[in-house]
Amino acid sequence: MIQPTIDNSCSNRIGLPALFVAFFRLGVMSFGGGTAGWLYREIVERRRWIDDMQFLSGAALGRLMPGSGGVNLTVQVGQLLRGSSGAMAAALGLLSGPLAIVLALAVSYTQISHNVTVHAILDGVAAAAIGLTFATGLKLVRFRRAGAGPLAVTVATVLSVGVLRWPMIPVVLCLAPISIGLALLDRRGRNA
Amino acid sequence: MPDDIRTLLALALVFAPLSLLSIGGGAALLTEIEHQSVGVHAWTTQREFADLFAISRAAPGPGTMLSTLIGWKVAGLTGALTATVALYLPSSLLVFGTARLWRRWRGSVWHSAVERGLAPIAAGLILAGGIAVMRVSPGGPAVWAAAIASTALILRWPSLHPLALFAASGALFGVAAGLAG
Repeated sequence: MIQPTIDNSCSNRIGLPALFVAFFRLGVMSFGGGTAGWLYREIVERRRWIDDMQFLSGAALGRLMPGSGGVNLTVQVGQLLRGSSGAMAAALGLLSGPLAIVLALAVSYTQISHNVTVHAILDGVAAAAIGLTFATGLKLVRFRRAGAGPLAVTVATVLSVGVLRWPMIPVVLCLAPISIGLALLDRRGRNA
Repeated sequence: MPDDIRTLLALALVFAPLSLLSIGGGAALLTEIEHQSVGVHAWTTQREFADLFAISRAAPGPGTMLSTLIGWKVAGLTGALTATVALYLPSSLLVFGTARLWRRWRGSVWHSAVERGLAPIAAGLILAGGIAVMRVSPGGPAVWAAAIASTALILRWPSLHPLALFAASGALFGVAAGLAG
């Protein structure tokens, strides 16, 4: 791996309050969805609590399992850093801010669904949030300085799930054995 | 059984199964929430549902806070908490258990190969997720253009805070709508 491995056994130093605060911050910033992009920026790039591979592994499982991909990723990062109490602190941190904000909005604005300007502003914010998601995905591809094989797998995933809208689970079931095989071959090639 | 307890139970019974059925999240979940709260339980009218959906879009947070709002509409703060916990707890427990099981095999050749094999797929799924959100956005080509411009700006200037970009893009769209209207 290119990035220096981060030893998560040392990260026991990360306290539960710090974990809660970090996820609270990214929770209240993640307008327009795109929690994964914010999590990458705040937890991987800024704090360096987990590395790229741990992020990708959590993101893969988080999307393949039922539920919100962002919450699933958060649970796994919390668990990785501080076990079950860490998972709970991270998930509560992520959700408590948005919960309070959405209720405050509901109390103040009961009828915004027909305000054209409000919808336009939300569209604009959502567009930038999609940009953050794209940038995160591209950084992860670029960072790995992937060989032709992994790159082809990424492109195939984007085309089939994103562009052609084939169902995710069967696509992953087809691509995963190929990609894992490539990883095994790569390892043998390097060891030889 | 008192009525308010019965209402909370009904909320939990609607959202907890959805928690485990919502693979890939997004549109399918939204349709089912609408069906349950407007059609089956009459918790909201169609109009109220549209309002709650608009409010949930305006708030930050992962996935849908729509269930929280429906819970709030039906049974106040306890309703909001019940619906939120029901939607997120079952799936969180499932992913927690699976991840823990998976980490037991750490160190084996297979574990590392599977993780390295899934990495390019995960990157692809993140990009595909962005495309999916873009496709369902009501804003059309303007949203696509702004999304691509934002991607380029974030990659070109890593120090640019995304929130600044969010504000600029929101303001741009708001002004454009004002001028058009």
